[in-house]
Amino acid sequence: MTKISSQTSPDSDRRLVVDLPCGKKSLSRARQKVVKFAADHGFGADAEDIALAVQEALKNIIQHACPANNNMHFECIAKSDQLIIDVTDSGSGFDTGALDADPVPPMALHGRGVQLIRGLMDNVWVTSDQEGTVVHMEKKRATG
Amino acid sequence: MEIEVQEKEGYHIVTPVGELDVYTVPLFRKVVLKLEGDRRHDLILDLTRLTFIDSSGIGSLIEIYQKVQTVEGELAYVIDNPRILKVLRLVELNKVLRVFPNVGRALQDVGVTGGYVDEDFFSDLT
Repeated sequence: MTKISSQTSPDSDRRLVVDLPCGKKSLSRARQKVVKFAADHGFGADAEDIALAVQEALKNIIQHACPANNNMHFECIAKSDQLIIDVTDSGSGFDTGALDADPVPPMALHGRGVQLIRGLMDNVWVTSDQEGTVVHMEKKRATG
Repeated sequence: MEIEVQEKEGYHIVTPVGELDVYTVPLFRKVVLKLEGDRRHDLILDLTRLTFIDSSGIGSLIEIYQKVQTVEGELAYVIDNPRILKVLRLVELNKVLRVFPNVGRALQDVGVTGGYVDEDFFSDLT
């Protein structure tokens, strides 16, 4: 059974914190939570894009960095002008320089996760060290 | 995910229903690659009933494309979901895959013209 816990911060309802088991079965539930949170805070037009970006970041954890406690973690913060999401793992990290190496060949079978995240979100940073990795994503509020 | 398979005009038409992602790709690959292994029919992938695709799903579409290419088979993709098209465009597969708006057009044109990419269809997406 998939267990997902989430909470809102005490000072506002603009933060969503989610912990979930490290596994493929968690992805659909996580996506649903992101879509609802985004829609509830006025990012409905981009909710599906944001949720796909989160899924791709979580999928990287599943494939490369499932921690010993088998836990994945992400946080969403809704601000007036943008939605900010940090997807965090406590794996052993990796060389983020590889992300800026040669572009993914058009017919490659793998390696499009970050390409998709960057295409779907407005700003993306990946930081990584021996204690883990954070994928920081920002989506500006749609205008008009 | 459910996967429907039918035969029509010499083509296998494969219709995955639901989400094509890292969780469901193994079943999709198994079904389609087994069909293509039979090599009794060319292939139309009808993706009009997909509700979601991620990078793993995209990878499976490319793998099938490459498999069909190696045996010089015919392959067309039927996609009418703007979200699916947007994802394909983000990874620039709209320039590679032969995409039709419905199965009828695919059956009509894929063997005759070699397929096409509907640039207008993609250009409207944001």
